[in-house]
Amino acid sequence: MSNDFNRRQFIGVGAVAAAGLMVGCSGKGGKTRTMESIKFLDQAPDGRELKAGLIGCGGRGTGAAINFLDAGSNLKIHALGDVFQDRIDDCSKRLGENKQVTVPKENCFVGFDAFEKVIDSGVDVIILATPPHFRPEHFAAAIEARKHVFMEKPVAVDPVGARSIIASSKKAEALGLVVGTGTQRRHQRDYVATFKEVYEGSIGEIVSANCYWNGSQLWYRTHKKGWSEMQYMIRDWVNWQWLSGDHIVEQHVHNIDVINWFTDKHPTKAVGFGSRQRRITGDQFDNFSIDFGYDNGMHVHSMCRQIDGCVNNVSEFIMGTEGSSNCRNEIYDNKNNVVWKYKYPQKEDGSEGDGVKVSPYVQEHIDLVKAIRENKPYVEAENTAISTMCAIMGRMSSYTGKEVTWDEVMNSDLRLGPDKYAFGKVDIPKGVPVPGEGK
Amino acid sequence: MRKQQNTKKQRKLFNLYTASFVLGMFFFLLINYGIKSTSTNEFCESCHVHPQAIQSWKQGPHVYNPSGVKVNCVDCHLPPSGVERFTAKVSTGLRDAYGYIFKDSSDFNWEEKSLRESAAYHVYKSACLSCHQNLFPPELSKKGEDAHIYYDQKPDKLRCINCHLETGHYHEKRENDIEERKLNIEIYTSAATVDSFTNFTETIPGSTVDFKMIAIPQGTFKIGSPVNEEFRNSDEGPQVEVTINKFWMGQVEVTWNEYSAFIKETGKEGRTEDQVKIIEKENNIDAITGPTPFYGNPGQGWGKGKRPAITMTHYGAEKYCDWLTIKTGKKYRLPTEAEWEYACRANTEGAYFFEGKPSDYSAIGFWKSIFGADTSVISRYVIYEQNSLSKTALPELVIANPFGLKNMLGNVREFCADYYSEDIYKTYSKETQIIDPTGPASGKEFVVRGGSFKSDASEVRIAARGQSSHDAWLLTDPQIPKSIWWYSDCNDVGFRVVCEAN
Repeated sequence: MSNDFNRRQFIGVGAVAAAGLMVGCSGKGGKTRTMESIKFLDQAPDGRELKAGLIGCGGRGTGAAINFLDAGSNLKIHALGDVFQDRIDDCSKRLGENKQVTVPKENCFVGFDAFEKVIDSGVDVIILATPPHFRPEHFAAAIEARKHVFMEKPVAVDPVGARSIIASSKKAEALGLVVGTGTQRRHQRDYVATFKEVYEGSIGEIVSANCYWNGSQLWYRTHKKGWSEMQYMIRDWVNWQWLSGDHIVEQHVHNIDVINWFTDKHPTKAVGFGSRQRRITGDQFDNFSIDFGYDNGMHVHSMCRQIDGCVNNVSEFIMGTEGSSNCRNEIYDNKNNVVWKYKYPQKEDGSEGDGVKVSPYVQEHIDLVKAIRENKPYVEAENTAISTMCAIMGRMSSYTGKEVTWDEVMNSDLRLGPDKYAFGKVDIPKGVPVPGEGK
Repeated sequence: MRKQQNTKKQRKLFNLYTASFVLGMFFFLLINYGIKSTSTNEFCESCHVHPQAIQSWKQGPHVYNPSGVKVNCVDCHLPPSGVERFTAKVSTGLRDAYGYIFKDSSDFNWEEKSLRESAAYHVYKSACLSCHQNLFPPELSKKGEDAHIYYDQKPDKLRCINCHLETGHYHEKRENDIEERKLNIEIYTSAATVDSFTNFTETIPGSTVDFKMIAIPQGTFKIGSPVNEEFRNSDEGPQVEVTINKFWMGQVEVTWNEYSAFIKETGKEGRTEDQVKIIEKENNIDAITGPTPFYGNPGQGWGKGKRPAITMTHYGAEKYCDWLTIKTGKKYRLPTEAEWEYACRANTEGAYFFEGKPSDYSAIGFWKSIFGADTSVISRYVIYEQNSLSKTALPELVIANPFGLKNMLGNVREFCADYYSEDIYKTYSKETQIIDPTGPASGKEFVVRGGSFKSDASEVRIAARGQSSHDAWLLTDPQIPKSIWWYSDCNDVGFRVVCEAN
């Protein structure tokens, strides 16, 4: 099979910002190729003012806006958009308290069409942080308007949406725009340093991998009086398939993306299962287990769970012919001895540190602003769309109990959610999927 | 003294360098001039013997377009640059010169040359891509986006021209496939009544369409070919004695008139089999869901009418039979592979049901390519490579076989009901008595029998077996999901119906 995408970026922003990969043959210590170290900046370079418009003013949206402001000087939040007035008010309040920023009232837009008004409000950068269902439409509109984009993962909830992202991503590349996607591990210094080690051959050829997001239950909302079904669903969005894509897509996509990044491949089939044990609202599962198969015979196991009171683990693991790695900060030999460790900056008291110097949530905005100001564009959207599609493939298999192939999911016309958005009844089939047949 | 010699030497060397540089420049400019002056549209026109190509190019979107940009002959018909361009230029130049001097352009089958396979040979994908560098330009439709994402997944398998055939030369005919209508416009109100086991003419109620069914008597025959048959393939044996009960078979392959009646009545909905099932269930009817609109042009611009219907999938062929069964109250279906061969043999035992040897008729081989193959007898019975002009033909052009069936061996290959298995005859040979066998219980590809207008005489032998190649025949279709009704990459397969006699 040859379904790798053209001009697929091998690594996220880092390598591109550092003028690409240097591939050579040093032949020493089993290392067959070398990669230039990535020089991360602690602050974006100074430059012309960049005005950002935020679409989706919930917790993550507000957080992303603050991260953007923290990335450097001369950065502004110029406009806000959301479907709920109270979300805009909360966001304005937090921006005022934390960053002493006031967004003028005339630049705050409410409603399902708020995204168009934010895009047209005279901004340079669009931050997309609504529930992921809306991402493809918003992204397409932002690119059509020639705006740089920072958008949160996942980038879609269904194959139709993911393909739309890929198409818009190609347009963004042609237009010379910068697009970052909230897969912040690709901007996290310890991850990137570990990637360099693995890329250069520290663990040999990769033969298998595991990835996990086993965590506790997320939040939910109960239906309040006076709310329409649409309002309730959007308020409770992390529990609804059509809005979040289920938690394997919404949350676990991070870990799947890391595996795609390190292996430079994507799976070509998935067999998975999952169920709903303790989730309170919505129509989603709360646990998944997927066996991802690859062209070359490799298998990757992915697990995710959102249930309280179980053992938690959010991490990745890759096994190579000559060792293994946790992808984050350590390389092990075949006997599980640590042979390499990422050196974190020391703490203020001189003791050994355990965190990266700049938060990856800020780093991704530093990289974005740097790329805009230095005119070295990169577009992460296609990679993230592929990772999103992998998660969707796992979900489809788990919902149906059938094997789902990459070709099937890439050519699927599955689209979740209503055709039109308005407050009122949401006319879509609802219900928790039951895989297989029988009583 | 020595110094003087040295300077002399140096001067000589200098002169030599200068001379060779000047000479080199001269040749470079000469070649450059040669290439340039032989790359103009006027130069191409000067010996290319197809004025219709110039006209259709001028009317096509590469000249007549909103931006006013003109794309010239060599922009598409040569690789964009480099050594490749140079060697292609030399070799096509030599070929054209040879053709110009030794061949008669009125013998060329221009219609064939404008088909996708032939056009792909004369157009370079690298040339398309050297101008069209952004495959996601503004105003690209949703369909276009999906199609280009599909291309992006299989760039080494797909060519631009698979979808964009009309972009270089404009062909009005292809856009509108003109239906050949019957003069008789009587609309049948009922299906044919059949009292005895004889030939009859079926009439499809609610349409103007009728077709002949031939009564095939019960009999026993040997399926497959003997080991010493010329051009025999291993899947044609071992020969096994098979008994077939009586049935009726369509005198000709299902025509566009017949298949179009089906499309007209049932068409449009249901791209996936699941959707079809849902639609059928929701409507709770004894009706059949019909094809979605096709991708491309299934008639290929050859005309429809009484020509055999082509490019439908096996599923589409089966659904037609189901529909016909409901319309007429008789049990119609695809023939089994054994029924097909029995009907085709019509009690003969040779390679063909007429006289002659495959090795005389086949055009394969060095001497045949120079002196031509014997076409005397076979041409009267079979539409194949040598007499087809690379397209389907009307059934009246050939003589029927002893049972009265036409075009069993040529025109288009025909779907059978059976799954294909290479060694199915071996399985049969283990049983004591074989009556009406139906092939393997499961499989992926279906049996395809008889040759087509593309086949060599060696491939139109009665015993020759073929199979569908589902994925390859859908390669170009960029729709999501792909059509379950129409093949995008197979234009020489159709089918024939049988009607059960019990």
